[in-house]
Amino acid sequence: MTVRILAACGAGVNSSHQIASAITSEMKKRGYNVKADAVMIKDVNAEMLKKYDIFTPISKTDLDFQTDTAIVPAGPILYRVPSMAKPVYDNVEKVIKEKHLK
Amino acid sequence: MADETTTPLIDKNLMFVVDGRSQDEVFQDVADRLLKADAVKPDFLKNLEEREKNYPTGMDMSVVNKDYPNIAIPHTEGQFVNTRKIIPVRLKQPIEFANMISPDQHFPVGFLFMILNNDPEGQANVLAQIMDFLTNADKDQLARLFNAEDTQTIFDILAPAFN
Repeated sequence: MTVRILAACGAGVNSSHQIASAITSEMKKRGYNVKADAVMIKDVNAEMLKKYDIFTPISKTDLDFQTDTAIVPAGPILYRVPSMAKPVYDNVEKVIKEKHLK
Repeated sequence: MADETTTPLIDKNLMFVVDGRSQDEVFQDVADRLLKADAVKPDFLKNLEEREKNYPTGMDMSVVNKDYPNIAIPHTEGQFVNTRKIIPVRLKQPIEFANMISPDQHFPVGFLFMILNNDPEGQANVLAQIMDFLTNADKDQLARLFNAEDTQTIFDILAPAFN
């Protein structure tokens, strides 16, 4: 089964794409099949999140709507420092296991 | 339009050493120069400012090396720019930015890597390339970059790494 992830950042140009591709390749290494998209955070809404298992914004974001999608802040990945990225990947993997997404 | 895959990311004419005292002053100054160079569209400044306010781009470099100044990577949507470039800006006076990954936190920033990107899907990620450079480059070379008094110094250090 494919785990669906949505990354988002302010402009939807740089950060979200980097997060989407980093999570995809790390999760592949960990044996999960992941499909990640990247969008501008202002375009994210409840309807859009229904299509995703995990939402990975840059920072802890207060959404003005309710969602059942798991939220994992992923900004530390942007530093390209393995010790900073690892806790984010671990959190994503934890959600995959908890929600039995594999 | 030039072939993006062969256009260098670092352009000798698109890098600046500036003396502004605030984020507004620096953004205005740099945006004016980028507009004159036809690198951005007239709405660039307004959108850059708004995006920085809502989704800040400061990065705390002490996690990479405590001797490095903090940086920021201001940018906005591709529709407001005409090219795919990294615009290095040395700030002679550090100015305050909010932290990208925890926006409530503020810190002084000494160097900008402004990202102009009209092709987010294309090639290697520009932000990833900047961070890979900063986390792997020689420390003395980076010290010269962060203290550069002229654009020639910036070009000599960044061009071999990015072009």
